[in-house]
Amino acid sequence: MKLAGLPYRAGPLVWAANIAATCLVLFLFQKILWLVVPFILALIIYYVLMPLKLHLLLRGVSHDRAAAWVSLLAFGFFLLGAILGFSYLFGDAMGWQASAMRYLGGGIRLLTGAISDLEQRFGFIAESQAREMLEIQLGGFFEHFAETYIPGIALGIVAWSPSLLLAPFLAFFMLRDGWRFRRFLLRAVPNAYFERSLYVMDEVDRTARLYFVGLMQLTLLDTVCLALGLSAIGISGALTLGLATAVLAWVPYIGSVLGCLLVVLVAATDFPGQPGVAYAAIVLFLFVRLLDDFVFMPLTIGKSLKMHPLLTVLMIFVGGAVAGVPGLMLVLPVLGVIMVVGETLGMLLTDPRLRARYAHEQVLRQQLVTRDLKLD
Amino acid sequence: MKWLGGKGDVAKGEHQLAKTELFRDLSKRDFRVIDAFVQERHFMAGEVIFDAGEDGQALYVVISGKVAICLPERFATPLAELSAGDFFGELGLLDDSPRSAQARALEPVVLVVLSRTDFERLMNSHARIASRIALQLARHMGLRLRQMLAASSNGKDSS
Repeated sequence: MKLAGLPYRAGPLVWAANIAATCLVLFLFQKILWLVVPFILALIIYYVLMPLKLHLLLRGVSHDRAAAWVSLLAFGFFLLGAILGFSYLFGDAMGWQASAMRYLGGGIRLLTGAISDLEQRFGFIAESQAREMLEIQLGGFFEHFAETYIPGIALGIVAWSPSLLLAPFLAFFMLRDGWRFRRFLLRAVPNAYFERSLYVMDEVDRTARLYFVGLMQLTLLDTVCLALGLSAIGISGALTLGLATAVLAWVPYIGSVLGCLLVVLVAATDFPGQPGVAYAAIVLFLFVRLLDDFVFMPLTIGKSLKMHPLLTVLMIFVGGAVAGVPGLMLVLPVLGVIMVVGETLGMLLTDPRLRARYAHEQVLRQQLVTRDLKLD
Repeated sequence: MKWLGGKGDVAKGEHQLAKTELFRDLSKRDFRVIDAFVQERHFMAGEVIFDAGEDGQALYVVISGKVAICLPERFATPLAELSAGDFFGELGLLDDSPRSAQARALEPVVLVVLSRTDFERLMNSHARIASRIALQLARHMGLRLRQMLAASSNGKDSS
């Protein structure tokens, strides 16, 4: 953005304020996490459906009607998917626990096999009796897994599910009334700052849209690459596994570790006694992650944020330290939006001409309202 | 099916933009599209609408009142006076250059504003409206060019 022909550059104070504001927002988000997660889901739905609404607007359909039609269409697709997927997903719900235990068993077999292999090669590992200790610890963990963890997980799902139902409602009202909210905000802006506010709003919208659309594109690319690679290795359910791993990757670092673990468990269970397949799956996973970090991400999400890579990595750590796993997920989009707002505010506050124009506007308004009050 | 919404905010009878130079030849359906993107803005007499050198973020159409286009540091009198139906601020959107002059309200003014994003969206996505707007912009530029040529030849004759 330029000011009187000169490009504006944010100073260290503005940058410090941006980072501090991001930390504060993440800290506050942590307190209302039950609302933040459905809100983010709603934003994703909103930005996915927005092009369709825009298409209808450009055909002369009103905002309200376009939002209603698009929401109905999306709900129809969701309902169809739910009906078709319900029997597939929940038909064998009783077998979920058995499957989970089978995959965990496969993982343990791979791990103990790997340690036995190492014990044969290196004497000091054999002397430490690492395999026996691992078997005892894992045995204890799985013996009490059901009574220790399942109630907590089930309770968490029950507590979180209703708030997730907020997402489609929020998305509908964003689609229907988002433009009214924008006009409402712009009406409150003094004339002197009007064009700058237009710029900020468009940039915030553009940044958020590119981020969430980029995230969807990244998920699609990750899913396709992993599914192709896993099916080439011969692992079952390659597409589902690819999708699950790509969605887990939304959480930086932790998501990738969980995704890798998932792939290894499935590979170890599908091919017992063939650790080479599990190792191949790990290599494939690492290759896709590298592809993701150095090729896909700069092409999708990176385009939206225009951030220095070092700052990106540092902010991910800061986000994790301030707000845990939600902080890891939210830090980049929050920083992206705050950067736009912060830089524009910095520019407004350091622009004497705009402040002078605002003061002039106030003087004119004062003259207008006091014109008939003076006694001559 | 009231839940599915109404037909938008188009007033009955002639649309307020129908008499403007930029949107003159558009149909009622086109005005419904335009209405989804524009907003109204009020300025007091003497208020600066935008300054020379700023980044142009919007195009303005005068609905009522008078606007002066001026360069106060170089000329004492306005370069042009615009009234209801005229438009300004389009140059910054067309060639992405800073504002070439200052726009100031000469009397209480009502303007319709089309932001840069929405202008570009309309130009890129709606062929009929884009072609009409492009035609009006070309006519407007042609008129300005002829006026400038006439003014410069008058200057030469008088010297």
